Amino acid sequence: MQSNHTTSSIPVVQLPVVLVADVQDSLLVVVHDLNRLDSLLAHTMTNLLERFTVASANLADPALVNSVELNAVRSALTAAVTELQFQDMASQLIAHTSKILQGCAYRLAAESMGSEDGEAVPFVENVPDRPNPVTQDEMDAGSIELF
Amino acid sequence: MALILAVDDSPSMRKMVSFTLTGAGYQVVEAVDGVDAFEKAQAQSFDLVLTDQNMPRLDGLGLTRKLREHPQFKNTPILVLTTESSDLMKQAGRAAGATGWLVKPFDPARLLAVIKKVIN
Repeated sequence: MQSNHTTSSIPVVQLPVVLVADVQDSLLVVVHDLNRLDSLLAHTMTNLLERFTVASANLADPALVNSVELNAVRSALTAAVTELQFQDMASQLIAHTSKILQGCAYRLAAESMGSEDGEAVPFVENVPDRPNPVTQDEMDAGSIELF
Repeated sequence: MALILAVDDSPSMRKMVSFTLTGAGYQVVEAVDGVDAFEKAQAQSFDLVLTDQNMPRLDGLGLTRKLREHPQFKNTPILVLTTESSDLMKQAGRAAGATGWLVKPFDPARLLAVIKKVIN
């Protein structure tokens, strides 16, 4: 690895092309894996919602609706509503992180290899210009503010 | 009972919101994004709009601005239910005409209490 300075005095690090290609490949593999994780979560959520719907429909049966013994089950089901919002938040986190990693991979290629020998510069994915909207790191209920 | 328009591009969020609201006796119409919500809002009147912020085609703040331009929705409570928790976004929500800002995930009892308060 070499380091030198351009005429505009911006430090430049020169990396072997093979290393850059490996890093880019690794970034894209991680993006692919994150997309698979997103699909797994979506599939799991679909199944969970089906079971949730069946359970809540059974509890709403007129024959059971006044059953005091099932009050604890109803309360547990209602309380699960907060935790069952995890997939929406996880999906947004994954989407934002994937865009950043994909942007890094394409930018790396564009900056280091794209302009060699007259090759066209690869399309550079837009990297999100703001922080991840999901800042929560636990599933406690969020704040409420009335204007 | 009051009619509520619930807007979210996430099927699981729509399901959780609908389960909570219908369980409390509210009638719920679901919309998958801001454009879908605006079309439904033009077809019928709602007592409250509960909308996500980050959605394709038209986001929650865009929907809020469009609804506020209509005399029919000038005074309708609009609550934004979102993962966004920054003060900057809350200020933008307030400027757009939102009635309140709720950060996900929501607690069913607290959501119902807020809805009851703003509808009344």
